[in-house]
Amino acid sequence: MSRRAAVVGVGQTQYRRRHSGRNTAELVREAVTAALTDAQMDLDAIGLVVGGVAPDALAGIDHVDMGSIARPGIPYFRVNTGGATGSSAFLAGLTWIAAGRCDAVLVVAVERMGHAVTAPKVFNSIFDPIYERDISLSTLSMVALRATMMIQKYGYTLEQWAHLAARNSELSLLNDTLESPRRFSAGDVLSSGVISWPIHKLEIGPVSEGACAMVIAAENRVGSRPAAWIRGASGLSDTYEMGSRISRAEGALVDVVTLRRCAAQAYRDAGVVDPAKEVDMVEIHAACASSESMGYAPLGICAPADGPRFLDSIVDGTARIAVNPSAGAQAANPVSATAMIRIAECALQIRGRAGRRQVDGIRLAVATGQGGATQFSTAVVLGAEPS
Amino acid sequence: MNARPVYLHGAATSVGWGDSRRSLTDMIFATVTDALRQSDAHMDAVDSVVIAAHDLIDGRSLSSMVTAPAAGSYLKDEMRVDEDGLVAASFAAARIEAGEARLSVVAAWGRASEGAPDSVSRVGFDPAFEKPLGLQELDISAVRLSAWLARYGDPGDSRAAATAARSMRAGRSPRALRVPSRDSVLAYPLRQAEGPKWADIVVAMIIGAAPSPVRVGGVGHATDLPRPGERDLVGMPALRQSAEMALRGSARGIDSIDLFEIDGMTLVEEALALESLGLAAPGHAFEHYALAENVNRAGGSAAAWCYPAMGLMRLAECFHQLSGTAGATQLDTAPRRAMAIGSSPLGAQTHTAVVLERA
Amino acid sequence: MKDVHMPNDVELITIPGNWNFDYRYFAGETASRFFAELKNSRRIMGTRCGKCRRLLVPARTFCEACYVETVSWEPVGEEGTLEVFTIVAAAFPGMPPPPFVIGYVTLDGADTSIANFIKGVDLSDIHAAGKSLLSRPRVRTVFSAEVQGRITDFHFELI
Ligand SMILES: [Zn+2]
Repeated sequence: MSRRAAVVGVGQTQYRRRHSGRNTAELVREAVTAALTDAQMDLDAIGLVVGGVAPDALAGIDHVDMGSIARPGIPYFRVNTGGATGSSAFLAGLTWIAAGRCDAVLVVAVERMGHAVTAPKVFNSIFDPIYERDISLSTLSMVALRATMMIQKYGYTLEQWAHLAARNSELSLLNDTLESPRRFSAGDVLSSGVISWPIHKLEIGPVSEGACAMVIAAENRVGSRPAAWIRGASGLSDTYEMGSRISRAEGALVDVVTLRRCAAQAYRDAGVVDPAKEVDMVEIHAACASSESMGYAPLGICAPADGPRFLDSIVDGTARIAVNPSAGAQAANPVSATAMIRIAECALQIRGRAGRRQVDGIRLAVATGQGGATQFSTAVVLGAEPS
Repeated sequence: MNARPVYLHGAATSVGWGDSRRSLTDMIFATVTDALRQSDAHMDAVDSVVIAAHDLIDGRSLSSMVTAPAAGSYLKDEMRVDEDGLVAASFAAARIEAGEARLSVVAAWGRASEGAPDSVSRVGFDPAFEKPLGLQELDISAVRLSAWLARYGDPGDSRAAATAARSMRAGRSPRALRVPSRDSVLAYPLRQAEGPKWADIVVAMIIGAAPSPVRVGGVGHATDLPRPGERDLVGMPALRQSAEMALRGSARGIDSIDLFEIDGMTLVEEALALESLGLAAPGHAFEHYALAENVNRAGGSAAAWCYPAMGLMRLAECFHQLSGTAGATQLDTAPRRAMAIGSSPLGAQTHTAVVLERA
Repeated sequence: MKDVHMPNDVELITIPGNWNFDYRYFAGETASRFFAELKNSRRIMGTRCGKCRRLLVPARTFCEACYVETVSWEPVGEEGTLEVFTIVAAAFPGMPPPPFVIGYVTLDGADTSIANFIKGVDLSDIHAAGKSLLSRPRVRTVFSAEVQGRITDFHFELI
């Protein structure tokens, strides 16, 4: 990156199924105010606001960002890359700083999917209307299709994912951004019913509303502020066609070529040579336990064939790396914001501001984002030191 | 901090209506391929793709999932802005200024014949306070015009003259739709010929770090208040601010601009922009629009219109004029500097301005 | 919000809404021919990329990987391999009644897989069915009695 920058402010609302008591602008205002306070900055210092809102249909309001995130007098635009929207908005803000267009950017993502009475219909209408929509695909069946391949190719079991989901539910009790964390056992997961085999109901992140905001500052504006330095950041897009990716030369569908490549790029920028040894924590954007485990190998924190064993080490607490200390998207999944929250959680941990979920000694952290047909990937490496 | 200069290498525009031979992705692929050809560039060398697309216009709830690969995003850095196409161009330029990319595809599209953009615009209004009134995007133009009429009175024949000039320019443009499409229902005091010519539009441009005859001189963005009722609809301050910011970037005044390509959904926005920019005296927007040879040479929204392709289409027109490839609308003396202005829904809450100059 | 005029027990309003926009998606020449082949000849066609030489199924106008137009049409076999699948076991609005199987199948001769329903699987025990399908079984294309030129004109059945 041509210009050093850091996260100096993080603000989040609580994430809950429905924020019936507040409109979208009020939710945004809470997150933005908290982020600016955390950054010790006024809106006057902000040279760009980037909004992150994924499908308009989830909120049921077209351009819901215009009346809630856009600020009069400040340049504004919205990014929409589906599930990766939050991290794409972050990358877009970073580009503005790297280009020298301004010194401080406010990135804001908000989700109002509680408005959607029939969210699964929305999640079907994202598919290609000509060849695939009629096959009743959904975001969930996309996850499940990959899970069957992970069983075939790497030997994951449904029980392992149930244990991982239970482990994450345990962690969620420490996350004060969750209004009503759910704690359950692996047995509860396995008896919760199959939604789309091999995915059980309790492995799936809940419908969530809420807003996340972050302040990114160029080095000259960081000063003495507690900072999470952006050491590497990269995004990569892939073909829509899942049928073209199943056993591609570059890597199989579940090897997530885009994530592997953009993580490698972010590590190169960050000077990270061996992520398995150097990275202290990862926040993997995954709404289900199986898709979380799909992220391990592409991030270089375990070898592809070691995925199931690495999962076991997370569950039994012997993994060296802190994986999703926030409990991840399985605890709260406000679609437009989820990928930004992953970065925010890394920044909070590095800045020592993660409250009860704080893990000691986090100095290098990686956050991922995934969107589309697991087709848009982002990787952001944050560090306690600028380089 | 010195940003790297950004150059424009080529542009292609597809305009049509309901051509069932091509799917939306076919149209995008063909237009981006054409832009690459115009630029003597190859997709293998492209390291950034920036697109502007809107889910409800495209009838695909996560448009870029299905459409971005048609613009060349395969295993590339790709960003989708849910904004006017000129924002995509500005963002792609930022990638190059930052040294994050060297050659970028910028593409934007809207296929009005596949969907119902007028109806879609109704759901952008606040569901508690505005949507129940049944407003659509075009109604803001009508309100804007009535506010202008209330302030300055009936401009006599000049509105008709501006309409006629616009339609004559559109008739000359090689990038105008020449077949009947769909008419919108326009609210009083708008007249039918002042409205947009709905069309299926794909615009693609290739920009990069390698020098070419046309470069980006400055970029500006500005944001207005969210509710149309709170805004100065006549003065359009965000439009003026975005232009001022772009001019600051290029370190030259507005007098140095030889050509203005301004996106407006109707003649009203296109003409009132001239007052906002200080080119026309207050109350003389339509007169100025009718007479100015260097404003919307290609006929503005009378030639073809569909959100969110329009700001990029205006930029492509500027590029064609600066590189002498505008065809029948080419200014006799090829301009040296041009400004494109784009806007977003609802009622142009945000504006983007880009100054292009001959290198 | 603290306001003396605001009663604590104010009823929170929800306003009903429904988006229903009509679209007509132009399939274009390539997909139209693909569907015509389904309907008229009961065969599945792919298009070949001249650069990477892959036979893309269903037929594509251009190869997303190589970013070039495809060059020729070729039929693929009626049989193939079920690569990945899921058994949808819960009811969702707008979807068929559960349980049903969706999968991606690589038809013989094709270099990519095509999505469709997998029928004729014993789904009385979802877990047993799931485990049995993990072996990447062979499947056969079965056309519906009534064809209308849509992707649902056919499905796959285990051989
Ligand atoms: Zn190819």
